[in-house]
Amino acid sequence: MMFVRTLCFLAGALLTFASHANELRVLAHSSFSLPKPLIAQFEAQSGVKLSVIKAGDAGEMLNKLILTRAQPIADVVYGIDNSLIAKALAANVLDPYAGPAMQRPALVPLAPGVVAVDYGYVALNYDRAWFAKSGLALPKTLQELALPAYRNLVVVQHPATSSPGFAFLLSTIAGLGEEAAFDWWARMRTNGVKVTKGWTEAYYTEFTRNGGARPIVVSYASSPAAEVFYSKEKITESPTANLFLPGSVFRQVEGVALVKGGQQREAAGRFIEFLRSAPVQEGLQTTMWMFAAEPGTTRPEVMRHAAEPSAFYNPPADSIASKGPDWVNRWTSVVLK
Amino acid sequence: MLRRFSVGNAPGHFGPARAWWWGVLPLGFLLLMVVAPLARLAVEALPDLQWAGISAMWQDDYLRWRVWWTVLQATLTCVAALALGLPLAWVLARFEFPGRVLALRLLMLPFVVPTLVAAIGVLALWGPRGMLSAWLGLDLQGTPWLLLYGNLFFNLCLVVRAGVEALEQVSAARVAAARSLGATPWRAFWRVQWPAILPWLVSATCLVFLYCFSGFGLALILGGQRYATVEVEIYTLVAHELRLAPAGALALGMALLTGAVAVLYAFVERRLATPGRADGVARRRPTGAWQWCAVVAALASLFLLCGAPLLAIVVRAATAGEQVWAVLLDDETLPAVWNTLRFSALAVLLATLLGVAHAFAARRSVWLRAAAFLPFVVSPVTVAFGLLLLYPRWSASLPLLIGAYALLAYPFVANALGAALDHQPAHLAQVARTLGATPRRVFWRVTVPLVLPALRRGMAFAAATALGEFAVTLFLSRPEWATLTTLIYQRLGRPGGANRDAALVLAALLMLLALLAFVLIEQAPRRARVPARGRGATNVPA
Amino acid sequence: MSLLELRGVCKTYVDAQGGQALLADGLDLLVPGGRIVAILGPSGSGKSTLLKMVAGLEPPDAGAIYFAGQDLAAVPPERRGFALMFQDFALFPHLDVVDNVAFGLVEQGLRRAVARERALQMLAVFGLHSHARQKVWRLSGGEQQRVALARALITQPRLLLLDEPFSALDAELRTRLRDEFTQRIAAAAITTVLVTHDEAEARAMAQQGFRLLQGRLLPLW
Repeated sequence: MMFVRTLCFLAGALLTFASHANELRVLAHSSFSLPKPLIAQFEAQSGVKLSVIKAGDAGEMLNKLILTRAQPIADVVYGIDNSLIAKALAANVLDPYAGPAMQRPALVPLAPGVVAVDYGYVALNYDRAWFAKSGLALPKTLQELALPAYRNLVVVQHPATSSPGFAFLLSTIAGLGEEAAFDWWARMRTNGVKVTKGWTEAYYTEFTRNGGARPIVVSYASSPAAEVFYSKEKITESPTANLFLPGSVFRQVEGVALVKGGQQREAAGRFIEFLRSAPVQEGLQTTMWMFAAEPGTTRPEVMRHAAEPSAFYNPPADSIASKGPDWVNRWTSVVLK
Repeated sequence: MLRRFSVGNAPGHFGPARAWWWGVLPLGFLLLMVVAPLARLAVEALPDLQWAGISAMWQDDYLRWRVWWTVLQATLTCVAALALGLPLAWVLARFEFPGRVLALRLLMLPFVVPTLVAAIGVLALWGPRGMLSAWLGLDLQGTPWLLLYGNLFFNLCLVVRAGVEALEQVSAARVAAARSLGATPWRAFWRVQWPAILPWLVSATCLVFLYCFSGFGLALILGGQRYATVEVEIYTLVAHELRLAPAGALALGMALLTGAVAVLYAFVERRLATPGRADGVARRRPTGAWQWCAVVAALASLFLLCGAPLLAIVVRAATAGEQVWAVLLDDETLPAVWNTLRFSALAVLLATLLGVAHAFAARRSVWLRAAAFLPFVVSPVTVAFGLLLLYPRWSASLPLLIGAYALLAYPFVANALGAALDHQPAHLAQVARTLGATPRRVFWRVTVPLVLPALRRGMAFAAATALGEFAVTLFLSRPEWATLTTLIYQRLGRPGGANRDAALVLAALLMLLALLAFVLIEQAPRRARVPARGRGATNVPA
Repeated sequence: MSLLELRGVCKTYVDAQGGQALLADGLDLLVPGGRIVAILGPSGSGKSTLLKMVAGLEPPDAGAIYFAGQDLAAVPPERRGFALMFQDFALFPHLDVVDNVAFGLVEQGLRRAVARERALQMLAVFGLHSHARQKVWRLSGGEQQRVALARALITQPRLLLLDEPFSALDAELRTRLRDEFTQRIAAAAITTVLVTHDEAEARAMAQQGFRLLQGRLLPLW
C-alpha cells in the first residue's frame, strides 16, 4: 500500500517536470504589487502567463539571482534599485535592454540597460498623535535625535537584511560624512535605538501607530499617504508624517532588467514596456506607494499626503559599490555588538 | 562498538559475504554531498582561514559574541535539561501510576514535530501576543528565554528518555546490596545508581549540545536580533550580504566544533552496555502525599515544557475563525502542501535506499558506522551552503534539493536499522543455516522480517525530518517550490494579526502531517521482541 | 564405524574478554552412529565453537571433519543436514510455533501447506498441538525448547548438535526435559553430540563422555 502511494507521488513529481511553455518568470521583491486587471490585460495581450516569484527583500532577491546565475530562476527582474545596481552589474547577472522604454527619458536615471520604473524616498516617519500627546518638540537635525530627550524613541532596520535600512544608513553617511555618521550611530545606540530585521516588523510591530513603543520609524515618504488610503474611516489628514532631517533622506530608484541567461526574451521585453506604460505607472503609485518614473504620469489625489523632500542624500554609486559591505559591517559592530 | 562485533557475527559462510559493496552507494553519496561541499567551503573561505583572517574575525566583537552566545545557549540548555530531566526520569522509571506508559510514548512527540512548528508554538505561548505571556503580563520578546524554552521543548524529552532507559538497567541487586551495607537511599543513589546511569546521561547531553549548537529554525525565529546563533549568522551572511568568505569560515569552524562533540558522543556510546537487564529496580506505586505530588509535578512540568506549545497551536488555530482557515485554500498554500508532500516522499524513498545500504555495509565496519553520523554533525545550513557553492548548475534543481533532504534524513534509517541488525541474536541465523537455508534465504526469511519494524521506525523519523525541513529549502529551493515550512516563515514575516494566525493554522497543518506520517509508517509496535543478548541466561519457569 | 570424525582439528577462538584462547589443538573425536556423545567443559571454554565447526558455521584453523567418510570442508552448513540447538532456544520470533517447526521443511523444498501439515503432526506428537498458532514468546522456556527439538527432528537430520540445551531452565524442568529428549532422540536413532558443563546431565544422557581439556578430548566414560 505504501509503495503504491509512493509510486503515485513519484509519478506526480515527475509529471510536474513538464516544462511550462509560454510562462514569463518575473523575479521581484516581496513588495511588488500591481492591480490585477492590468496583469490580466498584459497576459491576454502578450499571450504569456506571468509567474511572479517573490524572493524577499531586494537585497535577498539580488543575492539569489547572483547565487543561481548558472541556471537563472527568472527571465526578468524587477526591484533592483540604485543602491544595488552596481553590485548587480559587477556580478554580471543582467542583460542590457535597448527597447523603446530605454530610449525615452525617465524622471530619474538608473543605469544604462536597466529601465527605471519608479522612485521614492526613504525617510523618517513620526506618529503625530504620540508627539501631540507627549508635547515633545520634533527634532530638527539628526544630532538632536541622539540627545537623551529622544531616548528609546527610534526604530530602524538592519541594513544587512533590509533595503530601506541600508538606504537610511547610506543617507546618514552621505549627509554627515562617514566618520561623523558612525559616531552618530554609536550615540544612537546608547540612546536606545531599536533594530529590527525588516521594514514590516519595524512598521507594523514597533511603530506606535500599530501598537508598538517607538514613535519614530525609518519608512518611506509615501507611507503617510498609504495610511490615509488604507484607513477604515475617511480622514483628511494623515496620522503620520515625514520627518525630513538633513542626512536622513535617500532617494531610491527601482528598475526592471533582463536576466542574463533567461528565456522568453520577447515576452520579457514586452513586460518591461508594460511596466513603463501609462496605466501601470499610474496604478503602481497606490499599490507599491512609489512615484512614477515616466514623465507626465498623473499623481493621484491621495499622494498629496506624501511630501517630496527638498533634499536627498545619496552617496556616489561607485562608493556604494566599493564600500557598501564594509559600511554594513561597521554599522553592525557599532550598533549591535 | 568493537565489542559488539566480536560476538556473534562470525566471518566465513555467514551473512551476505559481499557486504563491502553495499557501502559504495552511501559512501559515494556522503562524499558528494558532505565531504566535497565542505572542501569547497574551505576553498571559498581560504582568505579568512589564514591566520590574519582568523584573528580579524576573532577581533570582531560582534562575531565573538555570536559564537560565545551559541556555545552558552547550548550549554545552558544542557544544564537545564539535565537538572529537570533527571528528576522527571526518576519519577517515570521508579513509580508505577496510571498514564505512565502514555507519558513515555508521548515523549517521542517532540522528535516528530518540525522545528518551525515548535517555534510557532513557543511564540503562541510566550510571544508578544502569546497566551501565557499576556496572562502573566510578561514581554519576552528580545530576551533569550524564548530560544532557551524552545531548545528545552525538544531536548528535555531526549534527556528524560535516556534517563528512563538508564535507570531501568540499574541492577536492583546492586542497590539492595548497597542498602544492606548501610547506605541511606541518597547515598545508594550516588554510589550505585549515578555511576551506572552516567554514560547514558553523558551521551544524551552530547546530543542535546549538538542539536542546540547547530539548530537553525528555532534560532532564526526565536532568537531575535541579539540572541540568534552562528547558524543564523551564516544564513544572513549568505542570503542577505553575500559575504561568502566569512560565512564559509564560520561554517567550517562550526563543523569542527560539532565534529569534536560528535566524536565524544561516539566514544561514550561504545561504552553503553547492552540493554535489557533482567533485574532492573522494580517500579512501585507512589505512597504518601509527597510522592504523589512528585508524580503530579513531573507530569505537569513535562506538559508545560513539551506539550503546551503544541496545544497552544491547536487551540489558537481552532479558535482562529473561518477567515483565517480560508488560508488553507489559498493559491499559495495548496502548491506549498503539494511540494512538501512530494519532496518528503521522494526524500524518504532515497533515504530508505541509502539507509538500508549503509546499515548493511556498516555491520562490519566501525568507520562506516561513524560515517552515518556525519550528516548530524554538519548542520543543514552548512550543507546547503556548501552544495550551493559546489554545484551552481544544480543549485535550484530538484535532484539536489531531494538529495539534501535525503542526506539529512537517512542517518535515522541507517542507525535504526543498524541497531536492529546488531541486536539480532546470531543464533537465529545460525539455526536457519543448519535447517537448510542458504545465506540468501536466511537474509530474506529471517533477517529482513525481524528488522522490518526498526526500518519502518527509521523511515518514520526520516519522513518527519523531511516534512519539517527548513534550512535546506531556504537555500536550495527555487522560490516557486515553496514548501509549507517556507510558507509559514513568509507569513510570519508579513504584517498583521491575520498573517500571524494564518501561520498558526499552517503550522497546525504541518504538525498534523508530521504526526500522520509518523503514525502511518510506524504503527503500533508489535509485541515481538527479539530477546536482547544480555538476557539469555535467566531462569524461565515452565 | 564412526559416523562423525574430527581429525587433528586446531582452533583458537575469541573469549569473553576479547582475547585469543585455545579451543582445539590437534583434537580428535570419533562418534559412532546412533550414539549420544557428551563433551564436558566449563562455561566459556569455547565448546559452542566446537559445535559450530561441526555444523560448518566456522572453519577449523587446521585439521578435517568427516561425516560418513566424506570430508565436510567443501560442504556449506545448509547442505550438511545437521541440526543445531542452543540454550536460548533460537526460535524465530516473527513466526508462530507451527511455522517455526515447518521452517526446515520449507527449506527442503516442501510446499508451505504440506510443511505446515507435517509440522502440526509433529507438534501433536510432542503434545504441543494447542500452541500451534501462538507466537513463540508466549510459551514457557521448557515448551520453547521442545518446539526447538521438534523443529530440529522434523528435518530428519543426520546429526543433532546440542549446545547446553537446558542451561536456561530451572533444575526440575531440566531433569524432565532431559529424560524426554533422551527418549525422543533414541526413538529417532539420531547421532547426537551434546555439549554441556553439567556432568550429571551428561552422564544421564550420553553413552560416551569426553572432557575438553587443553585443546584435546579426554575420554571419561
